[in-house]
This record gives sequence, structure tokens and C-alpha cells, in this order.
Amino acid sequence: MRRFVSQGGFWVGALAVIAVALPLLVSSTFAIDIFIRILLFAFIGVAWNLMGGYAKQLSLGHAAYFGLGAYTSTILLIRYGVSPWIGMLAGGIVAMLASLPIGALSTILLIRYGVSPWIGMLAGGIVAMLASLPIGALCFRLRGPYFAIATIATAQVLMLLFLKFRDFAWGAEGTTMPNLGDAPLMMQFDSKAPYYYVVLVLLAVGLAITYWIERSWMGYYLVAVGEDEDAAEAIGVDTLRIKRNIYLISAFLTALAGTFYVQYIYFIDPNTAFSFNVSVEAALVSIVGGIGTLWGPVIGTVLLEVTSALLQSWLGGGHGGVQLTVYSLILIAVILYRPAGLIGILTAAYDRVIAGTKRVNKVSLDG
Amino acid sequence: MAEALVIRNLSRRFGGLRAVQDVSFAVNECETVALIGPNGAGKTTSFNLITGHCRPDAGSVLAFGRELVGLRPHEICAHGLARTFQVARPFGKMTVLANVMTGAFLRDRRLEIARQQAREAIDFVGLAAKEHTPARELTTIDQRRLELARALATQPRLLLLDEVMAGLNPAEIDQAVALVKKLSQRGLTIVIVEHVMRAIMAVARHIVVLDHGQKIAEGNPREVVANPDVIRAYLGTGYAQPAAAGESHC
Repeated sequence: MRRFVSQGGFWVGALAVIAVALPLLVSSTFAIDIFIRILLFAFIGVAWNLMGGYAKQLSLGHAAYFGLGAYTSTILLIRYGVSPWIGMLAGGIVAMLASLPIGALSTILLIRYGVSPWIGMLAGGIVAMLASLPIGALCFRLRGPYFAIATIATAQVLMLLFLKFRDFAWGAEGTTMPNLGDAPLMMQFDSKAPYYYVVLVLLAVGLAITYWIERSWMGYYLVAVGEDEDAAEAIGVDTLRIKRNIYLISAFLTALAGTFYVQYIYFIDPNTAFSFNVSVEAALVSIVGGIGTLWGPVIGTVLLEVTSALLQSWLGGGHGGVQLTVYSLILIAVILYRPAGLIGILTAAYDRVIAGTKRVNKVSLDG
Repeated sequence: MAEALVIRNLSRRFGGLRAVQDVSFAVNECETVALIGPNGAGKTTSFNLITGHCRPDAGSVLAFGRELVGLRPHEICAHGLARTFQVARPFGKMTVLANVMTGAFLRDRRLEIARQQAREAIDFVGLAAKEHTPARELTTIDQRRLELARALATQPRLLLLDEVMAGLNPAEIDQAVALVKKLSQRGLTIVIVEHVMRAIMAVARHIVVLDHGQKIAEGNPREVVANPDVIRAYLGTGYAQPAAAGESHC
């Protein structure tokens, strides 16, 4: 086992070196843009996977937290000149509070009325928490498809609200970010490489958190909740609390991705920030890669994003829709033939070719 | 002798069905009590009401001096009551060890301690050889053993066993009886729902008989099996009495 751990460590190290060196080796902005998208969606997938994969709480509304992160930092930046680095964390906190759903509205309203963002954040947070407790409590009592529907509704409601909030959130037309040139402290860079490193660090943090959770009691509790909530309750697992806590972490990380994304594309509107695509992609990359596994979302994103980018450059343009059809076919094939995700194929290959041993089932969380 | 569990006037209806109706009984500490009765008598519902998986319409459940009605199942488990389910509900994709560790985390969140506690429980139920087997690959009987080990890992004072012996062959029943007796000797209070009369007579010191959600008899095993109401409702007239051998170890 120890031998495997050090070998695993070696491969992770090698992967990290390649990831760090990549922008130095590739000069095409198009390629780096694709890498950034891959890292970003891998990160969102990792965040989603914590609750959707390990605890099997199928969320189809992670765009809610992505969007809140995006809007919180943008509002703080444009209205109050707060750096997106700080805005990112604030967005994460708003998303956490909102993940006990919808609470964030009160946060925004307070900011709206000219209170200092710092005091506003704090006060708004408290109001949001109070307001969201009954709704949150209700949401986490929902199981299976009902929970998924509630998450979709949360994201949609938020999108509609931001469409209406013209005065301080720019309504449907959205807004562009002020161009500050090369301003690292305001999360603006004049080349793509720094953006790449920012999102690489985010992904590394997400993976580290997942790794740590997977190997602690929390990982066991999450899988137990995912397998059988009643049986978990019967052996002392406070299922509502563990679900809430993991949702807080998941929402926080997703909001960081939202901030990063709008700072990267220099534009925000409700359709971008609360896009249903983000919700779907967050779930999809994890499902295709392997839910409830550390590397599943990363593998899934690499496959889906690379496929979609390649298809777009080969088949895009004239034959509208062809590349989407091929993409969907690949998706259907994966879900039909590898319902546990592609990670199964990869670990089997790894064990056979590289480690040369048959490993005890990894999903088993054997400590 | 102190009372571990006191149930008073417990009632629960499902629509028009009175699943449990005004049932009262008490279990002394370190005693093994059997809950018997025909299918649909309300035995499993009683368990669900005691462990918080289902809320009673009326009545009270007092365990070690604390009212349990209104508490959530995990709180009741933390108070020292553990149960098994009639149909075993292991966490299928976890190994035996991981399943039982999940139970052990209730008392200690450290991996090493939980692993050690879990191994003890696994040894106790005789699953040590299958520690690394995913739970879904176990036989039904081993899944029941696993569930018992998982319940024991929460370090309960009171154990509720729901038909742990159903489907076992005579030799396996003897093993299971020995296991229950061993638990009782360790000072555990046990409430057992069971249909295997031979096993009940071997382990129980006191029997409560339910029929149509109501308690129709209770007493020591010898009295209960001779009770005409019990024979009519449950045992059948051809029932031959095995010798009662239940004991208390406190």
C-alpha cells in the first residue's frame, strides 16, 4: 500500500509539473483558452462532486452559486472598487449563505442601500442566514429527484431576480468589466497565462480539499448518506447537518469559479452567470469521469472539453449542430457502457500496466 | 433492577390502520426481551417508533431516563440505542471495514481509533476474513452480521434486533443465539423481534406478544407459550413448548 501511495504521489507530481509548464510550452492563445476552460470546469466539477458525487445529492442548480460569486465580486468591483481577489472570497461567502438557499438576496439588498460592503456583507450575511434557515431546512429534507428540482428552481429564481435588478445589477443587458490593463491586484492580466495559473491553483485547492475529506470521517459519512440515509441516521449520522456542511463547501468553491470566470471574460449578465449550462456541466463532467472519486471530474472535463473543442474546430461552422450531435453520442456511449465513469478504465489500466498489481477496490474508502 | 426502556401507551396509525395501539411495556437493564407476534402485529413499527424513524401519534418512550419521542434517529443512537433493520441495509459500495468504521465514528472521529473499534466489532460477529469485501458482495446472512457489527460499533447500551435470524439454518441459528447471549453477558440490554421460537426461548427472559397492534400478553417465556390467547393468535394449537432458558447477567 505504501508503495502505491508514493507511486501515486509521483504521478500527481509529474502531472503538476506538466500543468505548470504548459503555458510556457504552448504559445497559442486559443489552446491556452481551452486549457483555462478545462481547469475551470474541472474545478466546478470537483466542487459539485463533493456533494453530488460522494453524498449523491444531485444538484442541478450549481449555477446559482457560480452566478452569486460572479455578481458579488462584480458589484463590489464596479460599485465599490473592491479587488476581485477580495470579491472572490465575499462571493464565496454569499454563495455559502445562499446555499442554505436564496439567502443572498438580502445581502444584495443591503449592499444596494449604500452600506459599506464590509458591514453590508456581515449584516447581509446574518440576515441571509436567518432568512434562509427555514428554506434551507426544507430543501435538505427533500430527497432524490425532489432535491434536484429544488436546486434547479433556486438557480432559476436567482437568474430572474438579477434580470429584474436593473439599478445595481445592470438587468438583462449586463455590464463589461472596467479595463484596468495589467492589474494583478484587481485580478486583471494582459496575457492569458496568469489566468491559467489562477484557475490551476483553484483546482489544486479543490482537489486538496476533496482529498482531505475523502480520507477523514466526513468522507465516510458522505458516502453513507449517499448509500442509505435512513441506515446512516440509525448509526448516528446527522444527515441534515453533514449535507448542509458539504453544500456550504461546495457552494463556496463554485462561487470562486464564478468570480474567476467573469473576471476572465470581462463581462457579466444573468444568462452567463446563472446559465443552466454551468449547472449541467458541473454534474456532467463528474458523472462522465466518475462520481465520488477524487480525479473523476478532472478526467471527465478533459474528455468533454477536448472533444467539444476538437469537434467545434473540425465540424463547426457550416454544418450547424453536427458537433453537438457527435458530442451527445459520445456522452450517451459513456453513460451506457461506463455508468461508473471513465475513471474505472483508467485505474484498471494503471494497475495493470504501471503498478503491476491488482488493488483493493478504491471506492471502498478503506482508510 | 433499573429500567432501561419504558414504553407507555405508544400508538401510531397509518391511515385507517392502527399499526400500534396503546402498547406499554418495560425492559430492565441487562435483560433480553423478545417482541413476538404474527406478521403485521406492529413489531417493526414499534422499533421504528422507539428509534425515531417514525413518529408516534401518542405515547412516550423513556430510555435510560430520557424521553426519546421527538428526537431524530441519530440523536437516539447517540443516546445509546442501536438497531438492525429487518432487511439489512449495508452501505453497498463500502467494504465491511468501512461500513463498521462509519458506525464507530459516532464515538471517535479519529481514523485509527475508529478502525480499531470497527475491527473489534467485526471480529465479534465473525466477519474478520471478509473485512475488505464490498458489502454488496456479501451473502444475506453476512450482511446481517455486518449490520450487527455496524450497530455495535456505535457502542450502544440497548440493542434492538429485528429478525436477525430469519432465513438461517438450524446450525446458524445456534450460532446467532450464542452471539446474542454473548452480547447479553457483556451487559447489553436487548430487545429482539423474532419468529424462531426456539431462539426466543433460548435468549429471552421476558416476552411481549403483539397482535393487530395491541399487546395481548406478556410474561416469562413459560407463561407466555402456555397462554391460550397467544396460542390462538400466533403459535397455533400444535405448538410444543421448548424449555425456557433465558437469563439475566446483571
